[in-house]
Amino acid sequence: MSDTSRTPTEVDDAALIERARREPEAFAEVFRRHAPEIQRYVTRRLGADPAEDVVADTFLAAFRQRERYDLSRSSARPWLYGIATNLIARHKRIEVHQLRVLERTGTDPVSDPFTERSDERLSARSVRQRLAAALASLPAGHRDALLLVAWGGLSYQEAAQALGVRIGTVRSRVNRARNKMRKELGGVDPTSSISEVHVRG
Amino acid sequence: MDEMTQLDRLRSEIPTPELSGAAERRLLAEIATSSQPRPARRQRRRVNLGLGLASGLAAAVTMGVVITNGDSGDPGQTPTVQPYSMAAVTLQRAADNTSKQEELHPKPGQFLVFESQTMDPVDSNNENGHSRFLSRSKRTVWLPVDGSSLDGVLFMEVLPPKPYPGWPLPPEAKQEVGTRGPDRLADFDQRAEYLRTDYAYLSSLPTDTAGMRKHLYLELEPGARADYEAWDRVGSMLAEGYLPAAQRAALFRAAATIPGVETVKKSEDAAGREGVAVAMVSTEAGERQEYIFDLKTYQYLGQRTVVVDADKAEAPVGSVLTATALLKVSVADSAPVVNGG
Repeated sequence: MSDTSRTPTEVDDAALIERARREPEAFAEVFRRHAPEIQRYVTRRLGADPAEDVVADTFLAAFRQRERYDLSRSSARPWLYGIATNLIARHKRIEVHQLRVLERTGTDPVSDPFTERSDERLSARSVRQRLAAALASLPAGHRDALLLVAWGGLSYQEAAQALGVRIGTVRSRVNRARNKMRKELGGVDPTSSISEVHVRG
Repeated sequence: MDEMTQLDRLRSEIPTPELSGAAERRLLAEIATSSQPRPARRQRRRVNLGLGLASGLAAAVTMGVVITNGDSGDPGQTPTVQPYSMAAVTLQRAADNTSKQEELHPKPGQFLVFESQTMDPVDSNNENGHSRFLSRSKRTVWLPVDGSSLDGVLFMEVLPPKPYPGWPLPPEAKQEVGTRGPDRLADFDQRAEYLRTDYAYLSSLPTDTAGMRKHLYLELEPGARADYEAWDRVGSMLAEGYLPAAQRAALFRAAATIPGVETVKKSEDAAGREGVAVAMVSTEAGERQEYIFDLKTYQYLGQRTVVVDADKAEAPVGSVLTATALLKVSVADSAPVVNGG
């Protein structure tokens, strides 16, 4: 909830959302602030095509729920990530399918369009495949919690707000998801990334 | 390096995107159409058209066709889809027929009054979770002949909802039933000039096929998406728009030139009126957008969208997700005074 990226003189999200209750156009600023970040997050989960729609639907749903926004929360990030998470859930089959493709083939349908050369990747093929296997096998709620924290950069407290669960639930889901990943990664030396780029699984 | 660092690197090559002005405009246009009750889902084709169209393009359910049993995936009734040339014939007949219909001659200062019945999917996303249903309404819209759509007025009677195919009907769906309004039609209008659908503007459009076609494709990059967008623009002019006979005939002739248009021999509008439809499939949405005409007079009846790809549309093939019926268009000297100024 700390808004370190903004100067203190700038109005916080809560003030913007309150204004948007009377002046709908004010909501455009909420979009400008958060859409790029949310879009990257959704793209990482689903790929570019579904992400475009999910993000548009997220902000529209947020706009429609603005009356229910808790104005004591200065940052809208947990709220927006929560709505996006609900919408991502509708594409669960696509998400899992793409993870399975990555697991099986080492080729990632989600990130490939963004990568020209395979050596631009920061992680080895075998690591990617095993992470994909772990992510695909997680219960959806665990994957949501894990990725909100890991990719969304939300704190446990914020992830709990986003998912509408207790902070203890987030903690235990993330822990279990981490165990799962550790187990999958067990056989891989994650430091040998360069030499493994061309290894086929 | 622990597993969280590894995970952090996964797909990290995906960049934070630049904001596109188009995305923001799309949101603002959707917000503008956000008067209640709100059609939610994937109204992408409507988005660029902006205001007042949300419920106009969306339409009512047709009793015989809608699938309420989402488990079966059975289309229930598969319409025969004819190839493109037949569609051209249908649109040609619609064009020829425009001169036979009684024409309205609204004057500056007056209002066109559109009475229609609609059905739209609604996404409800609140603290109780996520639900979907098909919201139905009868609506009357007063649009100034020569003024801003912001002076438009909406009166709505919300009808009992229907379940979204494969989803249980949420309790909140029934709470909306009742009348509301008269309210302002929209808070603001972000549409580009060339997407206006008020009578004064529509009257200024070309009356020849080529000119109207050019208008439909204005500002569009060539391609299948442009064809669908052009098709969509046709729908927005028909839904809650009234064109003089010459422009209306040109519109139908221009629509017949859009690649990918097909005919659906048996369709049905939101009010249950049967007709023949001209249609185009959006492969992105997995839906077929149909414009329905009376079988004898070729007068425009309404529109509907039918699922053709269950995965993309998230509903069984053959289900009707939106429908409209334009029941009456008339001219009035004034519009009702809206609630709350």
